[in-house]
Amino acid sequence: MLEETSRQDLKERLALIETMMAEGRQTTQRWGWSFLLWGVAYYIAIAWTDAPHGKWAWPITMGAAVLLSFIIASRSGGDKSRTTMSRAVGSIWLAFGMTAFLLFVSLGISGRLTDLRVFIAVVAAMLGMANGASGYLLGWRVQMGCAVIWWITAVSACFLSVSRAGIIFLIAIFFCQIVFGVYGMLEQHRTRIRRKAIHA
Amino acid sequence: MPDLPELNPVVHGKLRLALLSLLSTAEDAEFTWLRAKTGATDGNLGAQLARLEEAGYVAVEKRFSARKPQTLYRITRAGRKALSEYIQGLKQLLGTALDNEG
Repeated sequence: MLEETSRQDLKERLALIETMMAEGRQTTQRWGWSFLLWGVAYYIAIAWTDAPHGKWAWPITMGAAVLLSFIIASRSGGDKSRTTMSRAVGSIWLAFGMTAFLLFVSLGISGRLTDLRVFIAVVAAMLGMANGASGYLLGWRVQMGCAVIWWITAVSACFLSVSRAGIIFLIAIFFCQIVFGVYGMLEQHRTRIRRKAIHA
Repeated sequence: MPDLPELNPVVHGKLRLALLSLLSTAEDAEFTWLRAKTGATDGNLGAQLARLEEAGYVAVEKRFSARKPQTLYRITRAGRKALSEYIQGLKQLLGTALDNEG
């Protein structure tokens, strides 16, 4: 067998196994669009808050973002594979969505969400937890970096003035949603280009 | 000098090796996902999956999801063992090749 198979071929086969296993584990990059969409939704909601009918800004914008996410995800056909990793990452974001929905709808209806800084601190801490857990599971340093930015935002919001906390929140959304989302989409595009046809 | 391992010819085909490697990371996967990840044609992919199924390395489940037919593939215990043994064999052969060069 060794005469038939060159060392180069053996190395290529080992590399192929590694590449395919990495491909199978890849889950979050294809969700780059989702980070971008939610980042834009946050910006729209924040801008609308001070405009007429501002009390409807967050419920309507977040509801529209959920609907759009659902439509885009079902059109792209989902992951079409089930891995323990994708289930773990998916469950983190599902739990985040449910917690955010229940908490902020309840706070909004009860009228107890009076301090913007508390809102920013809670949202940023939750996003830090979700990004941190997801980034750690995937071994993705860029997402871990996003988690750190969200945690800094959460802590800052507890000590800064309302206007400064708001500015830091906008900056965090820009880097951790818009830039990270575009980065995820570009990485996915690059992976698609790199992928070569494999023949038996 | 130790005996050189024989590489399993079913696993040895590049596309079949890619498929087993992909499936080893997933609980199950659709035909379309495997096609997208490998870039193989429908015909070639179907033929190689059939060969793996014949060898007992891959199990197939056909079902309907949202009224659409769906074919799911998953690696069997025998497939996982064959892949693991193939990787060990590859590493052993590479080690021997490097020793011979040195």
